[in-house]
Amino acid sequence: MRGRVFRVLLFLVLAALLLRACIVQDIPTKIPQNNNEYQTNTVESYPIPKNVTIDGVDYLQSQAQVGNFGGTLVSSTIGEGPKTFNPFNCKDNTSAILSGVMYDGLFTTNPVTGDVAPKLAKGYTISPDGKVYTIYLRHGIKWSDGKPITADDVVFTWQNIIFGGFGDTSTRDSLVINGKLPIVRKYGDYIVVFSIPEPYAPFLRSLSMSIAPKHVFYPAVQKGKEYFDSFLSTNSKPQDFVVSGAFKLKEYVPAQRVVFERNPNYYEINSKNEKLPYLDKLVYLIVGDLNNEVLKFEAKELDVISLQGSKVARYKSLEQYSDFKLYNLGPDTGTMYISLNLNNRKNDKGKYYVDPIKQKWFSDLNFRRAVDYSIDRKNMVLNIANGIGVPLFTPESLNSIYLNKRLKSYNKDINAAKILLKKSGFKTDKRGQLFDKYGNRVEFNLYTNAGNTEREAIGVMVKQDLEDLGMKVNFKPIEFNSLVNKLVSTFDWDMVIMGLTGSPLEPNGGKNVWMSDGRLHMFNMRTPQEGKAGILPWEKELDLMFEKGALATKFEDRKIYYDKYQEIVYNQKPMIYIYSPIRIVAIRDKFKNIYPSSLGGITHNIEEIYIGHDKVHN
Amino acid sequence: MDTIKYIIKRILQTIPLLIIVSMISFFIIRLSPVDPLAELKLNPSVSPETVEKEKARLGLDKPIIIQYGKWALSFARGDLGITSTGEKVSQKLGERIPNTLLLTTIVILLTWLVGVPLGIIAAVRWKTNLDRILTVLTSIGMAIPSFFFAVLLLMFAVKTGWFPIGGLTSPNFADMSFGAKFWDITHHLILPVIVLFTISLAGLQRQMRANMLDVLDSDYVKFARAKGVSEGVVIYKHALRNALNPMITLLGFEFAGLLSGAALTEYVFQYPGLGRLILEAVLKSDINLVMASLMMGAIMLVIGNLIADILLIITDPRIRSKS
Repeated sequence: MRGRVFRVLLFLVLAALLLRACIVQDIPTKIPQNNNEYQTNTVESYPIPKNVTIDGVDYLQSQAQVGNFGGTLVSSTIGEGPKTFNPFNCKDNTSAILSGVMYDGLFTTNPVTGDVAPKLAKGYTISPDGKVYTIYLRHGIKWSDGKPITADDVVFTWQNIIFGGFGDTSTRDSLVINGKLPIVRKYGDYIVVFSIPEPYAPFLRSLSMSIAPKHVFYPAVQKGKEYFDSFLSTNSKPQDFVVSGAFKLKEYVPAQRVVFERNPNYYEINSKNEKLPYLDKLVYLIVGDLNNEVLKFEAKELDVISLQGSKVARYKSLEQYSDFKLYNLGPDTGTMYISLNLNNRKNDKGKYYVDPIKQKWFSDLNFRRAVDYSIDRKNMVLNIANGIGVPLFTPESLNSIYLNKRLKSYNKDINAAKILLKKSGFKTDKRGQLFDKYGNRVEFNLYTNAGNTEREAIGVMVKQDLEDLGMKVNFKPIEFNSLVNKLVSTFDWDMVIMGLTGSPLEPNGGKNVWMSDGRLHMFNMRTPQEGKAGILPWEKELDLMFEKGALATKFEDRKIYYDKYQEIVYNQKPMIYIYSPIRIVAIRDKFKNIYPSSLGGITHNIEEIYIGHDKVHN
Repeated sequence: MDTIKYIIKRILQTIPLLIIVSMISFFIIRLSPVDPLAELKLNPSVSPETVEKEKARLGLDKPIIIQYGKWALSFARGDLGITSTGEKVSQKLGERIPNTLLLTTIVILLTWLVGVPLGIIAAVRWKTNLDRILTVLTSIGMAIPSFFFAVLLLMFAVKTGWFPIGGLTSPNFADMSFGAKFWDITHHLILPVIVLFTISLAGLQRQMRANMLDVLDSDYVKFARAKGVSEGVVIYKHALRNALNPMITLLGFEFAGLLSGAALTEYVFQYPGLGRLILEAVLKSDINLVMASLMMGAIMLVIGNLIADILLIITDPRIRSKS
């Protein structure tokens, strides 16, 4: 008898639990017909903050709507969290984002136009010969501990930390021009002058690097590079941070979260002259993977999330019943491509890196164009990116300010591909198998990194597309590290599907990929000993474009060179671009002053974002 | 005195064992094709000089034997080295160990406090309805894969909103009163504890039940009963003491699992323990961190076994007389 009562009770409890779990209404998923459906939430253009002077203090004044103070925004970072909070030591993205919240640079990027916009500096002038940059700092602005921000801090940051080779040296490395570094000098407390040996266009943008408070960093620099590497690491106390950014570290809990609180001395004000930021706290949860991030967003622990293509349709249909809005940030900065190995040299053992039979195919432009024509980009966008993507034909990403818009897109054209192959003497037999003019069966390996499901899916579709031409493709996803080893050390690969993230603002960052002696010139990689051996005419032209592009200072002049480089790649097809995913971000609709932009993301104006009190649900 | 000698002998025996374990792990990690610098090499804005500098800093430019020698020497001195990003390994582990210990200790305490009595009851009430229900429940517990169960519970938490989605504390934890902090941690611990508890409880209960059944069937128990000793004394004085011996060995293994046993569940619940840290370290071939955690696992296992053996010496006169 007691057993039965127990069983009945157990059953009731289980049933109650299951029913509670089912109460959430299921909403049917609607498949979107095209990308335009996600454009519904685009907003009026972002009002750029202006410089104003009040009582001798040069503030930055927000032009966006005046909001309420208080509240918290919870964002997330995927992975194991920051490795350091020192903006000069960041080697990973998470650390760079989190330290960037605290330390402003002289300039930032206008999130709409991509121009240089003032931050700690209020303006700049460039001398006519393009070699002298004069930076005007704000009067009367302060670090979070109340000390003034002056030219001393700027000179110290550039002279002692960056040019001194402290921390991560990539900024320094990129500014060595003809073996010389720029010279920094101050004139008074609010003017800093940089003199560079040659005109070098990417220089101005590199001034967005964080500025360090001299009174805090100076002792650390005195103690040497090794000490600096662990300075302001993740176990520093929050009160040790003296910052210039809108937020200041409040708490770091390893593997759980980073909490920032408002910096009371921030130099931006709203149009009522009240000090920003509006939010009291900014929290980054450290989540291990994408799935957990989605669960946390759905459980309302997160306020903002970047959605993968496969999730967008469901969120779109949930949007009108929920408290979040979706924003389309436009194409991603990442580019996905197929590359062919054009290497025709031998290794130090006298063996060819690439089989000479295959070399003939890959170095044949008709072959490369045939491969390009046979790729069905639209189908890939539809099936792999769930329609949330755009076919890509240029090495610059679609949101790049240097994108060459004259390069036309086209569809899969199997007949054009076959004609091109025929021109080069390729033949198909009765079974549709492709042979070259010497009678060799066209067969090669296609690699990508295993575990990246998107690239694996692309590989399968590329293989099918190429098989339409009669080629035999052995698709081999291999471990990421082994693949990198093949690409940059052993060069023994035929075709590869990879992705790179470039800057949408500065094509010069791609010089390692495109210049013939670049360290990532994958499609025709040369060892340092080989130098520029066996350079192809169009490779020479690419080198020239990148050299000229870096020296020119005017945007219009640079655009010409970088347009040309894109055209060369478009015509020569050493890399065949596939598609760019579109970024869709969901954010709770209680947050106001949201001005998403392709270049800046959704929280680029974090100091202006506030929580609206009106809770409208439609 | 004999016992102390025995303990010292056992400790000395573990030294060659640890050396072999460390060598095997070190060489397997280093000989795997994972290049710790791959990401750096593929970053267009990183210069070749930086890559070379990084290589020298991590000691990757030296032959593998020398790399091992350097590591072993500093390990023997008690220095665990630094991670590939320059943080101290000892401190990284120190951040996580308390969290993992909190979770595993609660689970072990709960399972032993519940599992052992349940095992005894099931054995004593052998083939009654209660025993059958327990058998069914424990079979279910053993059959569910832990990560699957964890994912199910997470879905449950999302749908109902009753529990937080993983982690150990809420974002506003620092501003809470002591009572609220205690509740916050408890609230976060409930789901991971349920997962680990269900799974280890099942095994433990089955084990205890089987031991007890064995003993209850033995001649001395029959004899005690025949003598007319009361049932309570038979079970708790004669049978239980003998049935507990295998459980003590098991306790040694449980000790070894204190730090590593919950890795999978920790990962699913995004629990800030060792599991996530070590998984990432392995994926990035962060050698010092991986080696430290492997060595820690090996040492914990050795210590666990040692403790079990010592406990056995204390509880079992037969072993005492032999050693």
